[in-house]
Amino acid sequence: MLWRIPVLAAALLCLLAGCGQTEPAPVTVFAMDTMMELMPYGPHGEEAGAQAVTRLQELEKLLSVTAEDSDIGRINHSQGTPVAVDGETFALLKAALELGERTGGALDITIYPVIRAWGFTTDSFQVPEEKELEKLLDKVDYQAVQLDGEGQTVTLPAGMELDLGSVAKGYAGDQVIALFREAGVTSAIISLGGNVQTLGARPDGTPWRVAVRDPSGAGLAGVLEVTDRAVVTSGGYERYFEADGERYWHILDPKTGCPARSGVASATVVGESGLVCDGLSTALFILGAEKAEALWRAMGGFDYLLIGEDGSVTITSGIADQFQAAEDGLAVTVVTQ
Amino acid sequence: MRRTRFWVLLLGGTALLAVLGTFWLSRSAGGGTVANVYQDGVLVWSIDLSEVREAEELTIEGPAGGNTVQAEPGRIRVSGAGCPDQICVGQGWLSGGVTPIVCLPNRLVIRLEEGENELDLDGVSG
Repeated sequence: MLWRIPVLAAALLCLLAGCGQTEPAPVTVFAMDTMMELMPYGPHGEEAGAQAVTRLQELEKLLSVTAEDSDIGRINHSQGTPVAVDGETFALLKAALELGERTGGALDITIYPVIRAWGFTTDSFQVPEEKELEKLLDKVDYQAVQLDGEGQTVTLPAGMELDLGSVAKGYAGDQVIALFREAGVTSAIISLGGNVQTLGARPDGTPWRVAVRDPSGAGLAGVLEVTDRAVVTSGGYERYFEADGERYWHILDPKTGCPARSGVASATVVGESGLVCDGLSTALFILGAEKAEALWRAMGGFDYLLIGEDGSVTITSGIADQFQAAEDGLAVTVVTQ
Repeated sequence: MRRTRFWVLLLGGTALLAVLGTFWLSRSAGGGTVANVYQDGVLVWSIDLSEVREAEELTIEGPAGGNTVQAEPGRIRVSGAGCPDQICVGQGWLSGGVTPIVCLPNRLVIRLEEGENELDLDGVSG
């Protein structure tokens, strides 16, 4: 029996000193107009990280709205004629249009011309004239995008433009996580321009700790503990300009063509699919607390955390226990089924 | 019995040492206010802002004209950049918090290492 004690001692020492942990192989990539950080752990991490970089660059070529020869670029210059696209672009467009449907049009991938009119694509910000907005909104309607599954073609009416900015990073994150998993990585965390996605738990088996930014300042609102989940936040603080004492942010309501003012300052969505979390975080920001709750009940499969412009915090029951507010005594409303 | 006591003592001693060691390591990792400047993912400048006495400046080459990074006691910023949007310059001084200064056109990132470690964070959503 006694021989077991030194073995136990060695095992415990190893555990406490951290030699059971695997090393991360961090990679930074600049792609899809943002900074991406990948942190796969373990012996397969380095190779998987390199493969992921290639994959992300491929996706950028396919989905970029600014490159004329990307699938999206070709659709936008098609003048209403059908365009054959890669199977991947097709599947992503289909998923994005479905999310448009589920959110009652809050997520609309045809909003791009309006975003441009506000100057968010070029950084020459301006408040567009009402008449100009009205005219542009005539060309905003995700339901006008036609997908033909047989030839994998996309038909977009002339004058309309697609942009997958609200879902592409989430989709890319899903692809990286899948690639990591196939390569034998069991523990990884990635951040694609603030979209955080995790594979498994930390190497020591504890959940990943992902902070949610305080939308009203430089600090944090709190920390979420997650395993095998995507955590995606949309907030007005990410990109905005000020004119005549008013703040205009980049998340536009497809119904008005103006920055969405639903009382929500940031919307964080937690779920298995980065694509869904990405699209829904934008949609919930636009919809506001009440409609977000209704969507959560109707759709399921995700959780959310909303921070109101008044500082209020609303969280769904699935992640309420995993959230620690940065400030003690912060009033958190838990939404239950 | 004596043999058992020996191993129990050894076990207890090593466990205590390991705990102390881990505690010391985690403290030393999160204690400072170190700013790390990365260009295209490579660490090009690491500076402890709490030990800066006089303003220091470093010019870092990049694909969009590069950046001039300026450190003062307790804070750091991009003071000049060749990029067209100047977003990095507009971000101003970084002295706390978890939001890094990023210049996408020049692939430059300035990050404070203290903020994230105190809370044992792996990432920031937003």
